[in-house]
Amino acid sequence: MTRRLRNPVAFGVLIVAVVVAPFVFSNYRTYQLAFVGLYLVALLGLDILTGFTGQISLGHGAFMGIGAYTTTILVVDHGVRDLWTIPLGGLVAGVIGLAFGIPATRFAGPYLALATFAIPLAFIGLLKRFPHFTGGNVGKNLPQLHAEFGWHTSPSIWFYVVCWVVALVMLPLAFFIVRGRFGRAMRSVRDSEIAATANGISTAGVKTLAFGISAFYCGVAGALYGIGITYVNPDTFPIDLSILLLVGIVLGGAGSLYGMVFGALFVEFIRISWGPSLLDLFSKVHHIDTHAPGSGLVVYGVVLLVVLYAAPSGAAGLAHFSFGSRTRIIRSRHPPGPPAKGENA
Amino acid sequence: MRKTFLLVVAALAVAAAVGATAGARPAATPGVTAKSILLEGTYPLSGPASGYAPIPVGMGAYFSYINNKGGVNGRKINWKYEDDGYNPANTVQITHKFVEQDHAFALVGGLGTEPQLAVRQYLNDNKVPQLFVATGATTFDRDYAQYPWTIGWQPDYEAEGAIYGKYIVANMPGAKIGVLYQNDDYGHDYLRGFKAGLRSHQSQIVTAQAYDLSATTPPAVQMAKIKASGADTLVLFAPPTPTIQAYVIGTKLGYKPANVITNSVSATDPFLTIAEKSGSNIVEGTISVNYLLDPSNPIYNKQPGMKTYRAIMAKYAPKANANDPLNLYGVAKAWNVVQLLKAAGKNLTRAGLMAQARKMNYSTGKKNANPFALPGVVTFTHNNFQYPISQVTVVKYVNHVFQPQGKLLAGRGALR
Amino acid sequence: MQTFFQTLTTGLSDGAIYGSLALALVLIYKATEVINFAQGEMAMFTTYIAWALMGHGSTFEWWAFFATLGIAFLGGAALQQTVIRPLERASVLTAVMATIALLVILNGLAAWIWSPQLQFFPSPFPTSSWVIGGVHISKQDVGTFGVVMACVLVLWLFFRFTKLGLAMRAGALNPNAARLMGVRTSLLLALGWGFAAALGAVSGMMVAPTVFLTPNMMQAVLIYAFAAAILGGLESPVGAIAGGLALGVLLNMLGQYVHPVTSELQLPVALGILLAVLLIKPAGLFGRVVVRRV
Repeated sequence: MTRRLRNPVAFGVLIVAVVVAPFVFSNYRTYQLAFVGLYLVALLGLDILTGFTGQISLGHGAFMGIGAYTTTILVVDHGVRDLWTIPLGGLVAGVIGLAFGIPATRFAGPYLALATFAIPLAFIGLLKRFPHFTGGNVGKNLPQLHAEFGWHTSPSIWFYVVCWVVALVMLPLAFFIVRGRFGRAMRSVRDSEIAATANGISTAGVKTLAFGISAFYCGVAGALYGIGITYVNPDTFPIDLSILLLVGIVLGGAGSLYGMVFGALFVEFIRISWGPSLLDLFSKVHHIDTHAPGSGLVVYGVVLLVVLYAAPSGAAGLAHFSFGSRTRIIRSRHPPGPPAKGENA
Repeated sequence: MRKTFLLVVAALAVAAAVGATAGARPAATPGVTAKSILLEGTYPLSGPASGYAPIPVGMGAYFSYINNKGGVNGRKINWKYEDDGYNPANTVQITHKFVEQDHAFALVGGLGTEPQLAVRQYLNDNKVPQLFVATGATTFDRDYAQYPWTIGWQPDYEAEGAIYGKYIVANMPGAKIGVLYQNDDYGHDYLRGFKAGLRSHQSQIVTAQAYDLSATTPPAVQMAKIKASGADTLVLFAPPTPTIQAYVIGTKLGYKPANVITNSVSATDPFLTIAEKSGSNIVEGTISVNYLLDPSNPIYNKQPGMKTYRAIMAKYAPKANANDPLNLYGVAKAWNVVQLLKAAGKNLTRAGLMAQARKMNYSTGKKNANPFALPGVVTFTHNNFQYPISQVTVVKYVNHVFQPQGKLLAGRGALR
Repeated sequence: MQTFFQTLTTGLSDGAIYGSLALALVLIYKATEVINFAQGEMAMFTTYIAWALMGHGSTFEWWAFFATLGIAFLGGAALQQTVIRPLERASVLTAVMATIALLVILNGLAAWIWSPQLQFFPSPFPTSSWVIGGVHISKQDVGTFGVVMACVLVLWLFFRFTKLGLAMRAGALNPNAARLMGVRTSLLLALGWGFAAALGAVSGMMVAPTVFLTPNMMQAVLIYAFAAAILGGLESPVGAIAGGLALGVLLNMLGQYVHPVTSELQLPVALGILLAVLLIKPAGLFGRVVVRRV
């Protein structure tokens, strides 16, 4: 199956779409599409962990935060050039993710999910505890990114270019990771830890490394995120962000890399663009106050539910190609055969 | 192929989402046409800070009222606001949309210290007015030279804190003070001002306990420590929920300080009523400050401003709770916006608007005072003084309402 | 010593609330392997219903309390049948996403219907305290603890001594076998959700007088309930309660006695301790360790 993933046509279509978009869309939409690019990077990372290794994380928003703070502190306090901080943000987040992955991978299934829930909480607490370093609650402002290499274009378009260049490097890299020997090890850990161990795979090692890789991806995305919103503070990285990332991979189709493009579109547009537009639409049919507190959340939740029903395996599942064992990444609750792990037998 | 299909779907989705983006070209002055002025702002309509949602409703009611009377210089005000959920990342993206896509003339009343800090540089870079932000963080007034397109409105937290300090020195000699403050910019601004107001009496603070907004349990431990310190004067620099919790926890612990001081954000009659209902017996006699008429307090019902306010709310926001002080805050701010737009004249420009904001002088003496503010409150900015409203009056909670105590105090004067 | 006992009682009362919500999570997890993220918002929403039943008033009505439990039970069962059941064949992750969608919808709906403004919710117990040897023991704390424990006891009696309870336990233990034995598992799952929702309603109504009624009031409690549930072991009802109580006491003691633990770090430190416990006992204090043979 994985061999099919390396589809040059699909990659070509994506590149063409990315190149054409800024000529078609307005400056502001281009700015939003830049966020789609960075969310794509984050979702690819989380997909490597959740979709391909079967480990659910509810804390990867914090790794984006670590990336964003690394960039901000380096640029603002140490005068490092902003573009160079993007890989550094990824590295710092990756190392921290690796360190967290060592103990975390001892936890199974839901215990890991809930343990990772602690990461954003602890992250926010630490940001507030050390305000001299992080700026505390007030946070830090980053200077606006400006076009380089003698190119004169608007900051939004330049930001778009940076985000998508990074995304188009990280996407083939993700394919490389999931295709190789390590990728096979990840999938066997996902499908059956017992079988993986029997085949001589160090499940703890694979999970830890997958955790580190996913944290690296989220760190890179976070560095871009910080550059894009030109501001970081603890409120910028709430638990909602981690959950939104998980929503993104589920809607994109966990275990599919191209599906993440769709997930990233949802993550960026649902709250800021689609939700309000839908509300406006409803208000024309049925008289409701589009600014009623909470109404935006209701629309967001309902859209999420509808999409889940329409495509329980995400956008990738919608594309009616057989998914095979890949859907079982996160084990189905009512498997056709005997219980997968046999613990209930 | 599946991936190709996916990408085509994705591309279509973007196209659908983006749809009609070929908006109107910006006119000479963005957001201003012969018939209309576009004003926009971000507010938390969801999440923990959504209690502030009435503010833009009040502003909208006042703008509708003005539009119905013919607008400003023949132009109708088009008021739009969106939910940022108090997350600066959302504030930034929505603000980009307001500026680059909607071409708003000015951003008005954006709520929250951190969300507004996040967009301040961007708005100043683009020379878009960031008018009357809804926060009392001192930086929005103080740093006008660095951020000429940004201005606050309400009395800043630091100045308010200073007033409490001075009040204690004058009226509660020898008080042993215990402070509970929120561990962020908001709480720190208050505490800094408070200490400045106490001047040489700072040693009377026997304990200052910080609690964290994200520490989701009520500040029980902090209150126990304040009680144990023997403080007889409790000072609360916290938003409504923790403030009410502090009252109730204090009562549970059997703590009965002689004086309680509560910052103006939390000291409204509805909030203190909740504390009383929850069984707190230390609410009576609470000291705070006020600068606007208080619709939850019947003693202001005879003020002409209050009558206008109620008429506007009844007609233009009939579903809103007109007794909520936040609506009045919105109306009072919208009044001020309209005054600026009028003063900026027929040939409306962003620079013209800011020029007017930098030299406001609305007072009873000139017969142009803000009708929704307490009688005598002036709105004044001049040269290097850019704190629009800086006067308050001390109020005391007696028999379920805050009664004004004496005359207006100049908050900024208290700091010098 | 005074402060110690005061901290202990406050901790136990907080802990009872965390424990009851944790127990609700465990009930659903045992039956469906789904971690129900909407548990806290379901509790919040039913607390708003109780508030409406009490006429937004300032006195607590026990009839409204019990009526709310009934409504919560039916509501929980209905949610399982309408929202969760259609996703039965989807992956667990998809079902968890559905509970997250539910969380978002209920939170928005509560703000939409009742406004996000802070509201007063009455307590059945007085605010006053018993003073025993200089220690202030809050009647509200003791009452909260008592009500939660009573509800847990009733639930335990139900599962232990009724036929339906037995069927539910069987269904949770091995759905396939139970189905083969003629147990209608889908209905049992709905019942499980009903009980969990009712239990959540108890925690909501007990915590609302101290944290006050807002659409976001349960989010913090939910985080602590998660922590309590993993501390005790996700499979263990007893563990959920014990984990809740331990966490409540731990958090209060940390805040009271450990000086470097300033308020920002209270949560991270508590979570750190939790993770340390998990490292030693990966399935929680009361959880069964699944033996894996290779």
